[in-house]
Amino acid sequence: MMQGLSLTLWAVVLMVVLNVVLVTLTLGTKVVRSVRERTTKSRMNRLESALDESLVSGEVHPGLLRLGDRDMDLLALLMIDYLSMLRGAQREWLVALAEEAGLVMRYFMRLRASNRWRKARAAENLGYFGGPEAVAPLTELLSHPDETVRAVAARALARIGTPEVAEALARTLNDPSELTRLRMAENLERIGPLATGPLVEALESGDPRAQVLAARILGNLRAAKASPFLCRALSSADTLTDVRAQAALALGKIGNPEDVPALQKATEDEDWPVRAQVANALGMIGDLSTIPTLKRLSVDEEWWVRLNASRALANFGPAGERALVEILESDDPFARDRAAATLEERGTVRRVVEELRLQGERGAGARAMVSAMMRTGAVRYLERLARTMPDEAARSALVRTMEETRDS
Amino acid sequence: MTLSDFIVFVNYFVLGYFLAINGVYLALYLISFFEIADYVRRETFSGFSELFGSNYAPPVSVVVPAYNEEATIVSSVRSFLTLHYPLHQVVVVNDGSRDGTLEALIEEFDLYESDQPVRMQLKTAPLRCVYTAPHERLVVVDKENGGKSDALNAGVSVASYPLVCCMDADIILEEDALLRIARPMIESGSVAAVGGIVRVANGCEFEKGRIVKVKTPRKALPNFQIVEYLRAFIASRTAWSKLGCLMIISGAFGMFRRRDLISAGGYASDTVGEDMELVTRMHRVLLENEREYRISFVPDPIAWTEVPDTLRVLGRQRDRWHRGLIDTLFRHRKMIFNPRYGAAGMLGLPYFLIFELFGPVVELLGYIAFVAGLALGVLNAEFALAFLLVAVGLGVLLSTAAVFLEELRLERYPRWRDLLKLTAYGVLENFGYRQLNTFWRVKAIVSYLRKSTDWGAMERRGFQERKEPRLREKASRQGDIR
Repeated sequence: MMQGLSLTLWAVVLMVVLNVVLVTLTLGTKVVRSVRERTTKSRMNRLESALDESLVSGEVHPGLLRLGDRDMDLLALLMIDYLSMLRGAQREWLVALAEEAGLVMRYFMRLRASNRWRKARAAENLGYFGGPEAVAPLTELLSHPDETVRAVAARALARIGTPEVAEALARTLNDPSELTRLRMAENLERIGPLATGPLVEALESGDPRAQVLAARILGNLRAAKASPFLCRALSSADTLTDVRAQAALALGKIGNPEDVPALQKATEDEDWPVRAQVANALGMIGDLSTIPTLKRLSVDEEWWVRLNASRALANFGPAGERALVEILESDDPFARDRAAATLEERGTVRRVVEELRLQGERGAGARAMVSAMMRTGAVRYLERLARTMPDEAARSALVRTMEETRDS
Repeated sequence: MTLSDFIVFVNYFVLGYFLAINGVYLALYLISFFEIADYVRRETFSGFSELFGSNYAPPVSVVVPAYNEEATIVSSVRSFLTLHYPLHQVVVVNDGSRDGTLEALIEEFDLYESDQPVRMQLKTAPLRCVYTAPHERLVVVDKENGGKSDALNAGVSVASYPLVCCMDADIILEEDALLRIARPMIESGSVAAVGGIVRVANGCEFEKGRIVKVKTPRKALPNFQIVEYLRAFIASRTAWSKLGCLMIISGAFGMFRRRDLISAGGYASDTVGEDMELVTRMHRVLLENEREYRISFVPDPIAWTEVPDTLRVLGRQRDRWHRGLIDTLFRHRKMIFNPRYGAAGMLGLPYFLIFELFGPVVELLGYIAFVAGLALGVLNAEFALAFLLVAVGLGVLLSTAAVFLEELRLERYPRWRDLLKLTAYGVLENFGYRQLNTFWRVKAIVSYLRKSTDWGAMERRGFQERKEPRLREKASRQGDIR
């Protein structure tokens, strides 16, 4: 009986103790957090007024020197906030102040910390205050085992933005971690034209992971100097589909008509993602001579190619619209539907309806488009316009044209 | 074997089962603790503002099925349209509503009937019309009634973008919810789906479709559910995701890679547990195709929804959930304990089978055997009492640990009183609420065996707008969370 009772007691005691510990921990966490928030706020206020005084007077306030560890971190946070608002001399003065206050030294030292979060925080702050001296240690962090540390180092390097930084980041575009590669790409883009050379090297590297990203960034940077290399990647039988597709899109973003022959050749590519991006690219460049090519792509067997080709044609103004009207008369029902939808979504139909009453070529063109859309079966939008257009004359003209088409 | 021997055997079986289930929970809690700690530290360096401006964030289609949502659909769509994301569209699917849902949308957003061709990659009930908005990235699909799954499939077909976020029409999202849930997909092309924490909105204050004050509700029933949700989402799903066998993404809020969702066949219309069924099927299809993939969970408080505050509605919801679980396990029984299906087959589904499906049966059996054992005098009364106390104590411990984890890492309840209240409800739920849940789930097993396919209606009270409390009542088949 005694043994049983003690077992019960033990069970009660154990459960009560464990639960009380957890509840105490929960409440304790809240207490600690509230106290910490309050002290942080008062320390921040003190540092902020000292920093404001320093900025106004141009002399370093003594309250910003010989700070403790926590105050130094708070000052760094505050200064980063200020840096986003300041420009020119005041910004440079603030960076110099960071050095005088010992922040730069502190974060250089902290880069050696074994704790990865401390290391990451130090790297982040050195991106703002470290200057070119920080490039070498931050570059070392690009091969750190932790993804977050690598990503933060990349961001910090991009803020410093020297040519060495671009080279270092481009070299890591083949990192096995997708997250890291993405961060490198974002930061290379942030560096801008300085990154073109290293990116071309990455494009030529033969590593498909690096090639895809390099092509993409070069396109986003509108790097005209990279066009020949992108054309080579596009036409090479050795490159992967994704690389060729990204190269095509990049050429479109660069928008140089001299690249059109390479793109036209790529319309024969056996992989549809490449053809789809070529259609996009041709639409971006807007060279009128490519309209027949795009008309051909608008009846491609793959949905995405047809979609992109149709939308690309809409970028060509009246000539593209005429091509879309011709597609409305084609035998391919998918191409017809897509052409009608493109004309609708780009607002072309609405504009054309207003031209129905006009005499001459424009009026005839408008009537031809409405008739062609009706024959395609795309009548819902037209019927809605016939009900809702504010201009009564335009509404009547549309109703008349629709009736005439139905009768014929 | 005499009756007494049998009762003793049952009691020992229940004891063994009880030790096993609590061992599993403990392991899950430990994994979640470290996982959430890591997540929160990484969050500090995430650079969401950079992601918002990034050229590398794929566009997202937000798919919202709507059935008789006339009262709230306009404000919901407005709040979805203003979510922070580089490029997103909203696709509302009016699933044959009998009220003025469609008309409200047409009037508010100046929608027009469009001739845009729809590439129906998933089978659905016939579409009546596709409407487009002239000034917003909004598409409204009007279709014959086919149920929530059918509506979601239609929305996924119409969606233009590579990521689709499926959500309930009356969910409240935080402004950066899309960025947060999309991040794992942006960062890795192998992530096929992502789930996020869905929180209980009852009691909170809202303004213009956004949460402004997080509070616990006055009524007891939603408070019990808050504790349950903390356990399920924070402590459990985080760990399952880490183990590579997250089997549920809440139907109220989840993101999918469109091509993976379509290649898995979309949502199943003939089940009441479509959310779990879909994720299980995605595991199955991706593994059978030997694809490298991940199904992730973001332990971030990003979506809020209203939970039942009456026993009747809650009972129906739990009944449906359990029937959905049974149905999913039955459909994919081939995966259970099959090493070909990796962690999903060897860990995730066996857990659901042994502890979630049979858990209530064993618990009920335990109550009966316990009382019978004591009545017949075949159980050592003191030992039995100790066991009962430990059972209750561990139940409380799991709840208080979840509340602790919430405060330590996510800190969404700023008021002291809310934390104390949740802790108290963690204790109280062991006396009545837990047993009620057991009863509903056992009942669900019976009704599943009787082939019931009832969805169970959800009655919503409506979110309390700050200073302007309002009340709405509606019946919907598609609101509640899971």
